[in-house]
Amino acid sequence: MKKNNTGIFVGILLIVITLVSFSSTFFIYKRGIDGRSTQSQNSEAQDTIKIVTSFYPMYIATMNVIDGIEGVELESLSEPQTGCLHDYVLQPEDMKHLSNADLLIVNGGGIESFIQEVAETYPDLVIIQACKGIELLADGDEENAHAWMDVSLYEKQVANIAAGLADYDSAHADKYMSNASAYEKRLQPLADRMASLQQKYAGENIIIFHEAYDYVADALGMEVAFVMDLDEERQISAGEQKEVLSAISENDVKLVLADETYGKKMGDVVDADSAATTIYIDPLTRGEYYKDSYIEHMNENIDILERALADVYGK
Amino acid sequence: MAGYFSEIFRYDFMIRAFVAILVITPLFGMLGTMIVHRKMAYFSDALGHSALTGIAIGVVCGIADTSLSMVIFAVVFAFLLNQINRKRLVATDTLISVFASCSTAIGLAILSFGGNFSKYSALLVGDILSITSREIIYLMVIFVGTLVFWFLAINKLNAISVNPTLAKSTNISVRVIEDVFAIIIALVVTLSIKWIGILLINALLILPAASARNISMNMREYHGYAIIFSVFSGVIGLVMSYFNNVATGPMIVIIASVIYFATYIYGRKRR
Repeated sequence: MKKNNTGIFVGILLIVITLVSFSSTFFIYKRGIDGRSTQSQNSEAQDTIKIVTSFYPMYIATMNVIDGIEGVELESLSEPQTGCLHDYVLQPEDMKHLSNADLLIVNGGGIESFIQEVAETYPDLVIIQACKGIELLADGDEENAHAWMDVSLYEKQVANIAAGLADYDSAHADKYMSNASAYEKRLQPLADRMASLQQKYAGENIIIFHEAYDYVADALGMEVAFVMDLDEERQISAGEQKEVLSAISENDVKLVLADETYGKKMGDVVDADSAATTIYIDPLTRGEYYKDSYIEHMNENIDILERALADVYGK
Repeated sequence: MAGYFSEIFRYDFMIRAFVAILVITPLFGMLGTMIVHRKMAYFSDALGHSALTGIAIGVVCGIADTSLSMVIFAVVFAFLLNQINRKRLVATDTLISVFASCSTAIGLAILSFGGNFSKYSALLVGDILSITSREIIYLMVIFVGTLVFWFLAINKLNAISVNPTLAKSTNISVRVIEDVFAIIIALVVTLSIKWIGILLINALLILPAASARNISMNMREYHGYAIIFSVFSGVIGLVMSYFNNVATGPMIVIIASVIYFATYIYGRKRR
């Protein structure tokens, strides 16, 4: 008798758990579908070109290149919640997007470590690498692929994306190209501002707390005296702190570039214990998804740089 | 509703994940019964933690496939723990705990060198999409191996856990069986750690068996329920994680915990 009861209990328990979990899941899932962006509403249509971009700067660039073109649909992979895209692992949601996509636009240069895997899983997917043909800065033995942080290189990326799209969708080729050159024209003032800063401050030493800022320093013509890679949450050892502080005093560094989210702690140490000033600019790895997002945020970055440089160098 | 479920199997990675779950959860159920029965929960937990060191050693030695160094280290570690266990010098749980912490610390220290730990943080919570077909084949081989071992040695293992001295006297090679068992646990734990996660792998081993222990009257029920609970939590957890876009390991463990509490209450009432 007892044995039977246990069997019945187990059966009921498992059924109840199944029902509860599925009904709750079903509602969450439904809500997810209803709340999804309008851009993917007609995703079932066969003749639309579906583009997936790997992350924020690529999305904004592509958004501007496909502006006003019918039958092109744009999605982004879900974003990593922390830090840069390095070592990002694809989520189930991403696999869903990719399995329907025609084109995947990535930055390249090793930031999207999952490209290889994606290319093997979806051999028909056309992958456009925005960094193609761009001479990347070195990061030890590897390449530093944060090229979008240099406006003039970002312009090249936009051109690469447009060329790739024009190649795939020749019917709209002219439109892609003209969109791209219109966007490049709007980016040029930013590049010009950086160029005028370069004339004033080239040759000075600087320290960066994010690899991406190597491109900022490069655009400014400044010498990077020390790189501390704080692009994600991590522990900083005492030894590293010492290295930074001695690099500042040895190279007479006046300015440190950091990312507010991950570099604040170390930035505070620098401000308190050394002669240098830390300023925080946006590495543009994440942001709001609208067309002028890159231009606005880059402008803010340059504002901050301009003020801080004038401040510390007094010119 | 039907479309809602069939959607899962449109994706290769979900099919792989599903097959992997179906292979690994019965294994976990079977091994878990023995682990719980023999009070080896600490042991399997330590093995899970040793994975970090295994990977770290692989990185230091420049081995491309860190899974290999992880498996080798875990097997060595299991041997070592067994050895210590046999000496019965100090309280075993303390000693195992010390070993586990020590190996975790070594692993963390090496892996966090140069601030690169985030590369490995997926190991802590697991990543279901990282299952490759090759790993599934490995798991199947181990599954078959475990089944063979099970049918050959289950009674002996039980005898050992009831009374080692008596078992020895009836000509059972206690040592060999214990070592083989430890190696199997080491293999299963290290091969599934990538997608269950270090933090939770032990829960998955222990919970189904502990739940089954709450309600079963005999050995057969104990094993049967453990396997049922294990497979059930695995499948439901995977499906839930797919639709809710949360990590799979935690989802499975949540389901397994619910089962544990329900069986605990039921078992207590009945007594």
